[in-house]
Amino acid sequence: MILHDSLEGFREFWREFSRVKSGLVGLAILIVFVFLGVFGRYLIPFPDAQRHWHDITYWQDNPQAAPPVWFNLFSARKGAPSATLAAPKVTTQDEGNGVSLQTFTYDYNYVYDLAPRDIIIHLKGVGQVPFAVTLVRPDGLSAPLYQDQVQLSSSQSLRLSMADSSASNVVQFVTQSDSQLGNTLDPNLIKPIQVLFSKLDDKVLSRPQADKGKYQIQIQVLLLSPSIKLETPSVLISGYVSGLLGTDLSKRDLFTGVIIGIRWALIIGILTSVVSVVVGVLFGIMAAYLGGAFDWFLTRLYELIYLLPVLPFLIVISAIFKPSIWTLIIIICLFFWTGSFKTVYSMALQIKEETFVEASRALGSTKSRIMLKHISPILLPYSFASMALSIPAIIVYEASVSLLGLGDASIVSWGQILQAALSQGAVINRLWWWVIPPGLMIALMGMSFAFLGTALDKILHPKLKTR
Amino acid sequence: MYRKYVLKRVVYGILMYMVMIFIYSTLFNNVADKTTRAQIDEQVAQEIHRYKNLSPAQITTLLQTLKQNKIRQYHLDEPLASRIFWRSVRTITFDFGNSTIIRSSTGDRNVIKIILEALPRTIILFTTNILIVTLIGIYMGMYAARKPNGGLDRVNSMLTMITNGLPAWWLAMLAIMLFSYSIPIFPSGGLHVNPAPTGFKGVLDYLWHLSLPLLTLVILSIWSTAYLVRNIVLSNLQEDFVMAARARGISERKVLFGHTLRTSMPAIMTMAILGLFGSIAGNIIVEGIFGWPGIGNLYFIAVQQNDVPVLMATLAIETLFTMVGFIILDILYGLLDPRIKVGGKA
Repeated sequence: MILHDSLEGFREFWREFSRVKSGLVGLAILIVFVFLGVFGRYLIPFPDAQRHWHDITYWQDNPQAAPPVWFNLFSARKGAPSATLAAPKVTTQDEGNGVSLQTFTYDYNYVYDLAPRDIIIHLKGVGQVPFAVTLVRPDGLSAPLYQDQVQLSSSQSLRLSMADSSASNVVQFVTQSDSQLGNTLDPNLIKPIQVLFSKLDDKVLSRPQADKGKYQIQIQVLLLSPSIKLETPSVLISGYVSGLLGTDLSKRDLFTGVIIGIRWALIIGILTSVVSVVVGVLFGIMAAYLGGAFDWFLTRLYELIYLLPVLPFLIVISAIFKPSIWTLIIIICLFFWTGSFKTVYSMALQIKEETFVEASRALGSTKSRIMLKHISPILLPYSFASMALSIPAIIVYEASVSLLGLGDASIVSWGQILQAALSQGAVINRLWWWVIPPGLMIALMGMSFAFLGTALDKILHPKLKTR
Repeated sequence: MYRKYVLKRVVYGILMYMVMIFIYSTLFNNVADKTTRAQIDEQVAQEIHRYKNLSPAQITTLLQTLKQNKIRQYHLDEPLASRIFWRSVRTITFDFGNSTIIRSSTGDRNVIKIILEALPRTIILFTTNILIVTLIGIYMGMYAARKPNGGLDRVNSMLTMITNGLPAWWLAMLAIMLFSYSIPIFPSGGLHVNPAPTGFKGVLDYLWHLSLPLLTLVILSIWSTAYLVRNIVLSNLQEDFVMAARARGISERKVLFGHTLRTSMPAIMTMAILGLFGSIAGNIIVEGIFGWPGIGNLYFIAVQQNDVPVLMATLAIETLFTMVGFIILDILYGLLDPRIKVGGKA
């Protein structure tokens, strides 16, 4: 029976709600956010990013401060995106005496204007192996990039960055094909990968022209004895552009960060608003119904907190106590319960005088029963609206505290990302892909809750309903 | 009767302010005590330089007595409650003392001078913003209310909800990125170019530096103000006296700006006065991003440098202004609505 009633009530509510267009829009955006908050980890390219956000080695294979991939659509000169080269052609040549030469050939089709920033090779295996990397260019020239004896381990992969280690080899390669040009290159100053993917003419330094076509990366390994083992190496192209939202100066993938931020914004916003509105409603009802000293004390407390400047206070408390995100949520609650207190208080004063309350009292109900069973259900709908309406401000406060470097650095919130952007000069260097998305998400989430809250307010708030 | 109401309100406000200062004193008691002790040591060391021809033993005793005197003067030898009490008293009487690290541009360490240097800058930026926003907001809100659900109204309420959860500092970052670095038409921050030009050129330069922060703030806050005015005016437009005025053939313009605006004034004034007095506190982050050395910026530097005297003074002054705003508001309410001064419950 109760279930049927509440179902009917919900249906009626939905009929009214579905007429408010902005509310529907807000709800739709919110559903997308909740979906991304829950299932986001299956969509992001770096699922462990939350734990490894400040771990340099976790991000080492990404390019630094790379624009997003879709930036190519708007730019005349297309940048090479990040890629993993897979399925190499493997040939094994027996050299006798148990020695064999293994060659892995990776194809890379380079059709861009701006060269990738790095070619990174990961090796895993057992033993010590002589090892060489060669790049075969579309013009048929093959450039030796690296040759050395390396010690392999089966637990941790050996990482070789061609941008860091191939400069002098590249200069040598250029000198062999064009000695005059080669003499102009300084191994300490050139970007070796860029030279390799450019036409070898006198503009290779000032205005390199991309040499498009099919490249091959050859990895040759000499296995000196049968006991030496090597897993198939993985070859990564660290692109000129990378990921859906680019990367920051610490090579972190920003799309991953922004998606993880959704979860934190939802947790912070919803948890804080629910706790503070519940506390505010309870205090409001208690102050109105119990009256007396209770009323006096709560009203004074309300006035006091209302006068406190929120952000300065949050900042000072954060600076002193260095709170975790949970402590910060509690501190924000201390300020936000006042938001619903006064309205609930005045509404409860009216409800208190209604006949059904009197009847219940005459039947011998306790005060707590009247407050919880009779008064709060009437005020509950109102509190939903005020929960939704208080969330945008809560999210902005958390972001503000984080932006000043006083937030919980162990979480990946939008404020934390923006703090890194601000302190590492993203504004001055115009790294817009680092600044715009997190802020846009804050605005979008705030907007969705504002739409929802206003729609709920229109339907549920008794004062506005009559209008 | 009215005088009694005003008196009651003012006394209550002062009491409330004292309680707030007491809370601040309690919160910062530990650090503040340390700061005061360090400052006493410094002062005593300076004073001892004046006595040149003294034996080392005499110096030690003199040092001790001077220090004891100072410690007694600042009530540092007393129990915790009493220390907090005397610190509150000093703060309430505007005796903020000297800063520990922060100095004014002339090198002064007097906290009042430091604050008086920062305050006008904040007022120029934020109070101007509130004035512009309130004036345009009232005008826009009135027009939006005249045709509810019309074009202006829809755009306005839409933008209100969009700007609702938009951090001002983020917009500031975007504005600087766009208008100072991509299309460099505004300076990226600060009060003036170095060295500061004088005369009319100086004024122009100041306005040039003011324009980007001011524009950012105005564009962000104007919509919600207009929306609020629209709601207030709309609720009044449904009153009978408006219908009566319309029935008498009074022009719509006059109904709007004459009759309705007048009855809406208390609510609009609440908004304006609270905004005006609140604007004195500035905005910590926006000031930081624009390099605008006002009160908000000063506050954050004080937090970072652990400069408790400046911190306390800034908080106290912000609270004072908010308090004064509330008191003025209540007094004006009493003037506009005679029912309130009796003190009857809502």
